[in-house]
Amino acid sequence: MRTFENILRCTDNIIRFALAFLMSLLILDVFWQVIARFLMSRPSSFTEEVARFLLIWISLFGGAYAYRLNSHLGFDLIVKNLSRKNANALFKLCCVLVFTFAVLVMMVGGINLVNMTWMLEQRSPVLNIPMAYIYSAIPISGLLFLFYSVWFFFNVPSSSNFPGSK
Amino acid sequence: MTSLILFGVFACLLLINLPIAFAIIFATLITMLLTIDTLPALITIAQRLAVGIDSFSLLAIPFFILAGYLMGQGGIAVRLINFAKVLVGRLPGGLALVNVISCALFGSISGSAVAATSAIGGFMVPAMEKEGYSRSFSTAVTVTSATTGLLIPPSNVLIVYSLASGGVSIAALFVAGYLPGLLVTLLLILASALCFRRYRIAPTSMEIVEPFWSSLFGAVPSLFLIILIIGGIIGGYFTPTEAGVIAVLYALALSLLVYKEIKTDDLHAILVKSVVTTSIVMLLIGASSAMSWLMSYEGMPQAISQVLLGLSENPLIILLLINLTLLLVGTFMDMTPAVLIFTPIFLPVAELLGISPLHFGIIMILNLSIGLCTPPVGSVLFVGCSIGKVNITEIVRPILPLYAAMLVALFLITTFPSISEILPRYFGLI
Repeated sequence: MRTFENILRCTDNIIRFALAFLMSLLILDVFWQVIARFLMSRPSSFTEEVARFLLIWISLFGGAYAYRLNSHLGFDLIVKNLSRKNANALFKLCCVLVFTFAVLVMMVGGINLVNMTWMLEQRSPVLNIPMAYIYSAIPISGLLFLFYSVWFFFNVPSSSNFPGSK
Repeated sequence: MTSLILFGVFACLLLINLPIAFAIIFATLITMLLTIDTLPALITIAQRLAVGIDSFSLLAIPFFILAGYLMGQGGIAVRLINFAKVLVGRLPGGLALVNVISCALFGSISGSAVAATSAIGGFMVPAMEKEGYSRSFSTAVTVTSATTGLLIPPSNVLIVYSLASGGVSIAALFVAGYLPGLLVTLLLILASALCFRRYRIAPTSMEIVEPFWSSLFGAVPSLFLIILIIGGIIGGYFTPTEAGVIAVLYALALSLLVYKEIKTDDLHAILVKSVVTTSIVMLLIGASSAMSWLMSYEGMPQAISQVLLGLSENPLIILLLINLTLLLVGTFMDMTPAVLIFTPIFLPVAELLGISPLHFGIIMILNLSIGLCTPPVGSVLFVGCSIGKVNITEIVRPILPLYAAMLVALFLITTFPSISEILPRYFGLI
């Protein structure tokens, strides 16, 4: 468990840094689009595509990190009124479901999607980068979902409260 | 039949507190496996998760969320409250009115009801308690008026609706939201002015510390943000997404350099917080996009609208049914997935009845807003109660008159389409 915890803390730091970095990049990118159009009266062609791809990466990795913080929105009315033991059992069941989701949809579905677009040589229209690179965020973030669901299964948080963020 | 399986599985998974996004994906997956082979089904869902959020307009959402956090922590909320105080603080029930107006102002510039509840409620509930109002009444006022920001632009939900409706212009939706949003605000002000006495335990005279001009000047830079963003969008200078980035940089400059309430060290945490909030919304959008893909593949919207249209000849009754369904949906489902899932189902019916997609969007958002402050799930209600430190059962009585005000607004807005359509028409957006 100790090594597990260390890995967790380490990935937390990396992800927090990466998310803040990608978000700053996103802000600069769209700001550049405004500047390029107003000040240099030469619309930038690549910024829109970069921004859309950044959003996909940010959302998938952020989604995994949000799961790690247990802050995805849920309907906790029934669970709240259960005994501690039953609530924990349901929480573990949810971990199993998220694990299944990570393996089936994000890993199996994601890897096959990446493979398929790689074989078909699908490229983005403006930047001309392989779409497989963009879709690779799906299996990679799937790995994170998988990791966190195992962690939660063995370490049920003391209170699975309603999150305050939206 | 397939729609029964889809919604049945979804409901069961919700009940065991599986996060909504995963519940949507599982329900979709199980229903999909009935008609589609396993591997193609898995690939389709994985692809929808990414493609569903691959849209330039959706980018406005992270920007407005970040701008909202910057404004909440950067001292903009306090200045808006001071501004509202000098406006209406001296009227009877002054502080309750201040609460409504501050929530509307903050909700409108941050575009998030939860952000408004926590930013304004955190100040206003203790302040109202000091003036002798009961906590439960103060919380009820905060919770209901925080939702007005969802109609008053810029609003993230309207952007999501634009996506779900397949191309109603965001600029038109933003402009359309003004009058309905102000109408709800006005009715909430009326309702709280009429019933504040019952919840005021120890009446004291309200003191307004700040002189008129200084609080006005304090708020001007914050209020200017609204003009900058909406003016820019209506005038066609920038897209809503670009307006979002302008809002971020403006709020950053304001709180970092002018109000000086955020330090550069805080920025990392604020960025991560905004990304987490964004991702929660985006994962919901990706999941809902997989679900709506399946629904249109199975022809569910057509089937459901046929059933609906078969129920009655009278368009008003059908509209009433849609309203009631949405009210019900809003009480147990978060706004973003509700908009994404129910727009493709109800919008075609509404259009057959001669309701414009623009008007329908406003009706839908207001319906779901009411759901946000209704037990058992209303997320704004929950955040409000945790900030006001009251139980949900305590809030039920004081929220009833405010709730009635919102229903009156819903009735008026549904019956008179011109409330939502007159401004966009004036600006030539529809």
